[in-house]
Amino acid sequence: MTTKPNIPQAGGNAGMVGPVLIAVALAVFATLPLWAEKGLVFLAGIVMAQIVFALAFNLIFGLTGLVSFGQAAFFAAGAYASAWLARMAPDLPFFLTLAFGGAVGAVLAWVIGLVALRRASGIYFAILTLALGQLVYTAIGKTTALGREDGLIGIARPVLDFGLFRINLAAGDNYYYLILVASVVLIFCLWWVWHGSLGRILSAIRQEPERVRFLGVNVRRYREYAFVISGTVTALAGALMAPWSQIITPMIAHWSYSALPILFCLLGGSARFWGPAVGAVVFAGLEHSTRTMVGMAELVVGGALLVVVLAMPGGILGALAALRQKYVTDRRGAAE
Amino acid sequence: MLADFLLIAINGLVWAMAVFLVASGLTLIFGILHILNFSHGGFVMIGAYLAFTAMQLLTGSVGIAAFLGIAALCAVAVAGMGFVIDRVVFKRLKGVDDSYSLIATYAVLLLSEGAVKSVWGPNFESVYPPEGLGGALFLGDLFLPSYALFVIGAGLAVFLVLDWWLHRTASGKIMKSVALDPWMASILGINVNAIFTTAVVAGFALAGLAGGLLAPNQSLSPMMGGSYIIQAFGVIIVGGIGNVRGAFLAAILLGLIDAFGTVFVPQFPGIFFFIAVAVIILFRPQGLLSGIR
Repeated sequence: MTTKPNIPQAGGNAGMVGPVLIAVALAVFATLPLWAEKGLVFLAGIVMAQIVFALAFNLIFGLTGLVSFGQAAFFAAGAYASAWLARMAPDLPFFLTLAFGGAVGAVLAWVIGLVALRRASGIYFAILTLALGQLVYTAIGKTTALGREDGLIGIARPVLDFGLFRINLAAGDNYYYLILVASVVLIFCLWWVWHGSLGRILSAIRQEPERVRFLGVNVRRYREYAFVISGTVTALAGALMAPWSQIITPMIAHWSYSALPILFCLLGGSARFWGPAVGAVVFAGLEHSTRTMVGMAELVVGGALLVVVLAMPGGILGALAALRQKYVTDRRGAAE
Repeated sequence: MLADFLLIAINGLVWAMAVFLVASGLTLIFGILHILNFSHGGFVMIGAYLAFTAMQLLTGSVGIAAFLGIAALCAVAVAGMGFVIDRVVFKRLKGVDDSYSLIATYAVLLLSEGAVKSVWGPNFESVYPPEGLGGALFLGDLFLPSYALFVIGAGLAVFLVLDWWLHRTASGKIMKSVALDPWMASILGINVNAIFTTAVVAGFALAGLAGGLLAPNQSLSPMMGGSYIIQAFGVIIVGGIGNVRGAFLAAILLGLIDAFGTVFVPQFPGIFFFIAVAVIILFRPQGLLSGIR
């Protein structure tokens, strides 16, 4: 068989599968409040924030090749900062408190990145970000203004004032749709970074940091860019989630929360942009279906993660792509 | 004043030796296999729960000898689990990136938490120190629980035995040679795979022993494994990952820093440990001591 360029064959419109699936997923999320029960709608809102969390993490993990074990610190920073500001100044426009959460996350990511990226690499980077993340966790859990171990409760869903009209986010499913729209916007930004020139440099840094350095690129600075972008988007996801869950506790800063995006990325496949989103949905399904049995969630999730890491390094999307590749070559082989 | 100072230092040392007991097996396995075993804390927890069950079966009072015997049995049981984990997981992690094996063993930690939850339930359990270690010693006006002194002694003993084994015995030296250059060691006729398995089994045995000895040190809960592993990570990374002497020094250093820090800034207990880890790694990324020692 001669080597053919991997162009989708006529009839097998493989290039359309991705966009169609994305459109279907979007439609499911958008229509969910119309047909699903309240508990599921609540879960879907959380999952959307977690998808943004995981996609932002994959910018530094799958793309830049850094394992950060302290991402929950940014998520919590965004959630706590926006909730705290909304409590201190209830009259501020909602988007300002949201932006404040993002800004606090950006500054924190800049500082942690400055410390962690200065010397450490590989496993040292993982442990150092873990330690710094736990530092944030301990600080939040002991700060009275942030509710100590009890967290902040009764976070209000605000009213959006557009001058001509107002939207009360506390009413009905309005806040759910706000999360949906904001998530789509944030995911589009991440998609743009991933597929743009910055994304290409980051990907090159993952594969050959030494060569990229020879080409005159300041590798550490670009890693820092990736870290700050990821931290900012993560903080915005946290700030979006706080009024949805209406209660935030220091557990969202704990290292086990930092492990979530890593789980999502590996389950779904970290080499692909949409992998973590698939992972987040699959994880939510696994956890939701085992929630009544004590200890079962850990066994199922741990087992699934172990199987994926040991047997399917490309995650779910990687395995599906390999299957499709096999199907295409088999059919082509049969035709010849 | 001096008594206060001593008490704080002893509290720091108890923490240090407890975490060293956990960290010793972790750093041993990393030194030989270059796998940072996230599940190590989970197996310490399993060891502690096994000790809990054993002490419940021995109704009545448990003496020091029986307590040590139970800890030894826990070490054997967890070592057996280590053998299985080595065959199923670690053998497949040869040559993969360090951070990747960190995540694979994180999955094993989740499995061990799930196992503990389904066998022993999600609630807190407590184990009392054995007969003879339940009391306290009084040095002047200094109040020292005997179990605290026992933990310090146990940590010291494990360190001395491990250090003696690695530096003074033939099998320990073979272990180090495999860590430095497995290929060369295999040419010299050393069964490298058997050494790898030995290191894993020994590391897990240390986890089980730590669990058995530390069962009365804190209440048992399914979160226990995670909290021990984070502290042990900090200790071995500051000590120089893979280095037993470094882990011992780092445990003492971090224990004292955290104990005194908590006294001076009581609003934020536990925060000085993380600050110290971050600052030390910033200035000495390779840790206090480097290489396997």
